[in-house]
Amino acid sequence: MLKLIQNEWMKLWSKKATWVMAGLLIVLLFASAGITKWIGSTSPAPEADWQEMATMDMVMYQDQLQNPDLGAAQTDFYEQQVAITEYRLANDAAPFETESLQQQVLDSHLMLSLVTLFTVIVGAGIVAAEFSQGTIKMLLTRPVKRWKILTSKYVTTMLFALLFAVITIASTAVAGLIFFGIGDGTFLVWNGSEVVEGSYWAEALKLSVLSLASTWMIGTFAFMLGTVFRSSSLAIGVSIFLMFVGVQVVFLLQRFEIVKYYLFTHTDLTQFYTGFMPVPDITMTMSLIVLTVYFLIFMVISYWTFAKRDVTA
Amino acid sequence: MSNEKIVEIRKLSKTIGNKQIIKNLNLDLHKGEIIGFLGPNGSGKTTTIRMMVGLMRPTEGDVLINGKSVRHDFEASIEKVGVIVENPEMYKYMSGYKNLVHFARMHKGVTKARIDEVIEQVGMQNRIKEKVGSYSLGMRQRLGLAQALLNDPEFLILDEPTNGLDPSGIREFRMYLRKVASENNVAIFVSSHLLSEIELLCDRIAIIQNGELIDIKNVNEHQKSRYYIEAKPAEQAKQVLEEIGFSVQPHDRGYLIDTEPEHIPGAVKLLITAGIDLYTIQPHRTTLEDQFLEMTGGGEIAQAHTK
Ligand SMILES: Nc1ncnc2c1ncn2[C@@H]1O[C@H](COP(=O)(O)OP(=O)(O)OP(=O)(O)O)[C@@H](O)[C@H]1O
Ligand SMILES: [Mg+2]
Repeated sequence: MLKLIQNEWMKLWSKKATWVMAGLLIVLLFASAGITKWIGSTSPAPEADWQEMATMDMVMYQDQLQNPDLGAAQTDFYEQQVAITEYRLANDAAPFETESLQQQVLDSHLMLSLVTLFTVIVGAGIVAAEFSQGTIKMLLTRPVKRWKILTSKYVTTMLFALLFAVITIASTAVAGLIFFGIGDGTFLVWNGSEVVEGSYWAEALKLSVLSLASTWMIGTFAFMLGTVFRSSSLAIGVSIFLMFVGVQVVFLLQRFEIVKYYLFTHTDLTQFYTGFMPVPDITMTMSLIVLTVYFLIFMVISYWTFAKRDVTA
Repeated sequence: MSNEKIVEIRKLSKTIGNKQIIKNLNLDLHKGEIIGFLGPNGSGKTTTIRMMVGLMRPTEGDVLINGKSVRHDFEASIEKVGVIVENPEMYKYMSGYKNLVHFARMHKGVTKARIDEVIEQVGMQNRIKEKVGSYSLGMRQRLGLAQALLNDPEFLILDEPTNGLDPSGIREFRMYLRKVASENNVAIFVSSHLLSEIELLCDRIAIIQNGELIDIKNVNEHQKSRYYIEAKPAEQAKQVLEEIGFSVQPHDRGYLIDTEPEHIPGAVKLLITAGIDLYTIQPHRTTLEDQFLEMTGGGEIAQAHTK
């Protein structure tokens, strides 16, 4: 199996397109940091200092807590924010500025949708291309069972996603260091009983891992479409369409029970830590179960069609 | 050649939709033997071969290679088999060498030394580091053969391996095949509709038409001695020949007689004495091509045969 993955990895990186994607990702991340810097330097300095901002946030948090529709995860979130903000004001502990390495790193998970995009391209093509090139017949006439070949391709797609996620965080950090440098401020967390100083790296890592659930699901979906329809353009098109539209549909379905079984209600796992939940009464456990079920369905369809298919290409 | 079986095709059938493409095919191949698989376009050669190498699932029947079922024990059955199905497709964006490394990794125990050995065997040393995209068709065929030989196969399956090669390319390819057959003692199953091609290469020929095996022939089977005679007036000549006991069949602008060479001078004398003008008399060899066309009814594309 290791050798098969090695093969897939070699093929992947023998393609120019893969290097172009990696280059593009890095360029985009640096550009994004550059633009932030440029906007910061052209717009006038904010009138309010951080204490005033924090006081305003506090009002907003309190306000939210009055909302009767608030879910459990949201209530926790806002209560923690209140506690942290109180602590900040009481102890004169400023948060990070936007223009700092730390805040850039904390926000780096927002850039992972780029990784999803590239993972869709790779996942959609990794099986489909073998069919369109005609190489599938060379691959399937070796003494290796078909499910092993498919597994090596799936694992390679996921390794690619992981590598690109690491590139994303690393590039963001490097760009943040170059453009902004290390800023002042402290990172505070609620440890269950009190507000303490936390590691922003750990927080960034946690949010990134949670964000990758979406990459994982959409990547797996694209992989399935590529395997079933043997056309990477179709698989890429449909997956990217769903990636953008799928989340919007959550708002349409919001009032109906069915929304709880809908994939895109659950793809963003960071929602349990950011307070923004279109469907408030779901839990992390529920999301993980739904995602796992979808994952299994996607996998069964992929493996079944790949193993059974008569290859006439 | 020995009598040890290496491949047994058993009751192989394939139905797609309501169309039976392969009908109850049975065939044994022996070690060290080169078998030609001949049939007109659309007769089912590719389909049969795809089932033999696990690309397609038979509707019924099975293929045993070294006694192991391709359907139920795929990895073990295909371990010592080399395959080229139609044009060997390689990863164009990688070098020939990387392509070989790629396929070598999919077999057990193919060493770097073996890769180099195979490259040398097909004469690709000079271009092996270049991208496959820059290869000519002939070079791709050679690389295809190289990958099929990597695992030191006991059995090679080739479907129309000379597709798209020019005559010298075909000749060269045939020589490679002969060489590997004798040097590596492999059995070869090669499909083609190029009869002359098969005739020059194979020990035995299996003929398929409309999905059915219609004949298996030994190539060097002794041919009946036949002569072609063109004489005028034709009717009279026929009479003379029939009188002395030859069976006479009309052929072209003259007649065919089945006889041994020693009877020819006598026949000629008789014809001359009878005042017949003799234009041509020559040995008539039916080529495999003629036999094939005879058998498959002119070699037209197999008609659609919906049940
Ligand atoms: N996927 C398919 N669906 C329906 N019919 C098919 C399919 N594949 C092949 N056939 C039919 O099966 C028959 C045999 O095809 P096959 O490709 O095996 O012929 P062949 O002997 O290899 O011909 P050629 O000499 O042209 O390569 C043809 O009539 C073809 O139309
Ligand atoms: Mg064919």
